[in-house]
Amino acid sequence: MNTKRPTPPKLADWFLELICSEELLEEILGDLHEYFYDLTEIPHWKKSLLYWFHVINFFRPFAIKRRSFRIPLINNQMFSTHLVLATRLLKKSKLFTFINVIALSISMSVGIVMILFLSDIYSFDDFQVHKDQIYRINTQRVQGAQGMEVNLITSSYYMGSQLRSQVPGVERVLMMDANKLVADLKTAESAVTINGRYVSDSFFEVFSHKLLMGNALNALAAPNSVVLTESISKTLFGDANPMGQTIIIEDNSDKKSGIVTGVMEDPPLNSHLHFEILLSLSSLDQGMIEGGTDDRNEPNATGDFHVYVLLDENTIKEDIELAMAELIREHNTSIEHPIRHTLQAMNTFVTSDLYYNDVGPRFPQQRVYIMIGLTLLILLSACFNYSNLSLARALKRSKEVGIRKIAGANRFQIFYQFITEAIVIACLAFVVALGVFFLMKPEFLSIQNLAMQGQNIFSLDIDPIHIIYFFLFAVASGVIAGFFPALVLSKFSARKLFEDTRSTKTFSGNSLNRTLNILQFALSISLVMAALLVYEQYEFSVNFDLGYRTENIVNIPVNGDYIELLESEYSNLAEVTSTAKSSMVIGIGGDGLSGGMIRSESQDKPRPTFTGFVDEHFLDMQEFEILAGTTFLNPLVNGGNNNYIVANEGLLKELDLGTPQEAIGKTIYYNENRVRILGVVKDFIDIGLTKKIFNSFVFVFPEGIEQYRSLAVKLSSNNLSATIQNLDKVYQTLDPIHPFEFNFYDDQLANNYRQQKVTYKLISYLAIIAVVISMLGMLGMAVLTTESRVKEIGIRKVLGAGVANLMLLLSRGFLVLIILAGLIAIPTTLYLVNQMVLNDFLYKAEIGPVEIFSGFAILLVIGVLTIGWQIRIAAIKNPADLLRAN
Amino acid sequence: MIILLGEDAYGLAIRKALQEHANRTVTIGAVHGTVNRLEKKGLLTSHMGGATDSRGGRRKRLFTITTAGKKSLKRSRDLRVNLWKQIPELSLNLG
Repeated sequence: MNTKRPTPPKLADWFLELICSEELLEEILGDLHEYFYDLTEIPHWKKSLLYWFHVINFFRPFAIKRRSFRIPLINNQMFSTHLVLATRLLKKSKLFTFINVIALSISMSVGIVMILFLSDIYSFDDFQVHKDQIYRINTQRVQGAQGMEVNLITSSYYMGSQLRSQVPGVERVLMMDANKLVADLKTAESAVTINGRYVSDSFFEVFSHKLLMGNALNALAAPNSVVLTESISKTLFGDANPMGQTIIIEDNSDKKSGIVTGVMEDPPLNSHLHFEILLSLSSLDQGMIEGGTDDRNEPNATGDFHVYVLLDENTIKEDIELAMAELIREHNTSIEHPIRHTLQAMNTFVTSDLYYNDVGPRFPQQRVYIMIGLTLLILLSACFNYSNLSLARALKRSKEVGIRKIAGANRFQIFYQFITEAIVIACLAFVVALGVFFLMKPEFLSIQNLAMQGQNIFSLDIDPIHIIYFFLFAVASGVIAGFFPALVLSKFSARKLFEDTRSTKTFSGNSLNRTLNILQFALSISLVMAALLVYEQYEFSVNFDLGYRTENIVNIPVNGDYIELLESEYSNLAEVTSTAKSSMVIGIGGDGLSGGMIRSESQDKPRPTFTGFVDEHFLDMQEFEILAGTTFLNPLVNGGNNNYIVANEGLLKELDLGTPQEAIGKTIYYNENRVRILGVVKDFIDIGLTKKIFNSFVFVFPEGIEQYRSLAVKLSSNNLSATIQNLDKVYQTLDPIHPFEFNFYDDQLANNYRQQKVTYKLISYLAIIAVVISMLGMLGMAVLTTESRVKEIGIRKVLGAGVANLMLLLSRGFLVLIILAGLIAIPTTLYLVNQMVLNDFLYKAEIGPVEIFSGFAILLVIGVLTIGWQIRIAAIKNPADLLRAN
Repeated sequence: MIILLGEDAYGLAIRKALQEHANRTVTIGAVHGTVNRLEKKGLLTSHMGGATDSRGGRRKRLFTITTAGKKSLKRSRDLRVNLWKQIPELSLNLG
């Protein structure tokens, strides 16, 4: 036999003790245990299961406690009595009520946000009638030079069409071009920029979007059919009937015309797919066949289409997955890394992790869990407060419990009494929390806008169903908060309570109390620390010396061929110091950066590099540090820069060209064209602090103006809004279609790190909440400690103890707790923040003692102040009063 | 059954014996239910005793049959034998 043999499940025993009458308990438990040990040769879980079975089997009239029949668990009269008792008590101890209601309500308001947030997330695509039958075909394959395994939410047209024709159980297949169409939509009268999608004709059969005008079955069948959303139809046609109208779709310089065949409702906020118009997929056919890019019968082309399938009600997804594997088995034998297709159910579209090429909002499961975790911690922290304060007050209330017990109350009744009390407090707190929630809501929504780049995915509206959740939530919080105190207080026998009042001290749950306190303090410390660490990194990143200047520069995106006109118009404005054209804005996440291949004359294998197309003013205006040579020259004076590039230091190292001075004038190959190095700039940040892809960067002077996408304007003005208005006026005359967009360069840089900004904002809210809760808890504890030690303080004073002396004596316990909490929290937080946030950065802010000890110090100061204040009140009182008090 | 077990008749042992002799598997709860009922009717008496390690130091409730119990057992056996006797030979053979 094993030295450590398995024991019967404790919970089952406990359950039995709960239901079984006492006189039978011993023999029954004995029998059961013997039975349990007689079971050999079967796995432990099976033993436990059998054990449970037998235990439950004792739920028979003969064995059950008679008492519990006389007192049903919920008894109206008992409940109302308890309610009255609870309200009386809450009125009596106002401080206790106040502290708990405040602490619980602020944490519960976070809980409310979380409930609404979760229900928003999990109700995505709920408007889809066939939600549980719709799947998306995903692709797992090895891609890229590094051989990275990727998870794509796209798959091949081949697979979609095969499934439609070959596999039973697949009712409908919907193909959607993976490339979002961003184009200008024009009629004779008006124009608007839209997001569109090319979809196959089954769109309205698979999805449940409502078509307001047009025929759902063939609206998207014919080439060049366009279905508008209601709002776009309104902007383009007003109240006129758009059906059958011709519109021009202009995408860069590519012009097409389309015919409106339908108008649909705008996709709801909680749709995973957002678009403003739909175009028939058949519109693309002609172009692809002509351009020779038709790879619809190519199983390997897995990046071009989103394929949705609507399965038969009785078909399970595994069967289809097997069928898909079968369909591409032959193809897989011909390639090095086989392709795997899987089906992803519609309810996981928004919460799935790690999928490339997203179509809509995504909120990875992991982030959801972290947020739930933090909310629970905050909530628990407030519940700890309640537990702690109640346990500490046990001393006062033990007599009450004793009298009740003598008067005939049993343990359950006492237990319920205390739970009721907690629930009453929780409900009270909940009402306050709702108020706090409405105050916080706009703030929270603004944070999510920041996170999702202006894309609203949460409404945080309250539905009737939420009220039920809220009620359950409030009751659950009450039960959690009240459970420990109720358990402890109801446990003691009446005799013991009166026999020795000093024994009450031992059951104030000291060790439990302390552990809860330490956890609570640790949580506050880590949240403060985390907020500060992320904030430091954010500030550090925003103020990082990028290698060029960005002050007073406004970047204006330009969509068209009027950039030179615009530039010359702008140069005439008095407020504009200088202007520069470029293909991209550097340092804001890589938008518009293009790539190229470079090699030196002696090398034969070209290497990738980033390329930026800039004019002759760009490098000067942003004050790049020129190490050698010059920037581009004025093409009108010097006859062109065509065969020249400006390189960064990284490129010299990559191509082994020596020092900047030596490199000037050397010939290299850029995209296999011979070019000469005109100048060398110091290395700078090209994408941002979080990413570094290539070391080399090449500035190229473009041959034509179509490369330019952005006009940078340096302003020197005291009245910025007036200047912007002037710029807008000029812009409107040249480009009436696209709205005038302007971005202050510094804002764009900051926006690059918005994720960190969101993180620190969220964490700092939570940190404030946690600290406030801890503070209230400490206040409560301090009041109770001094109250219960009033006599001791009096005697000590009489014997000659000073105020400082007493304060040290009484606050020592708290200090130890805070220090212990700090010891736990500081290393854990450092580790976690490093792992989850800071490791994304190539350049990290330094972590100094300020960041490390901030949370600890804040809590310590707050603690000393709160506790000190209370203790001082007691300590400076006249000892005679103190001693007379009891 | 309890007579069969003699000195060592307690819940679990009764259940085991039922398994062996009568080929009937019942739950521990059912056994306890039955013996409790019988005791209330006065057909069984019980006393506590015989704690072992595997019971976690808990005592067993040992049952013995009372005179009334023996009588009622005998009565029920007699009744059954009587009923058997009344079945005609012929139908029994056929059955």
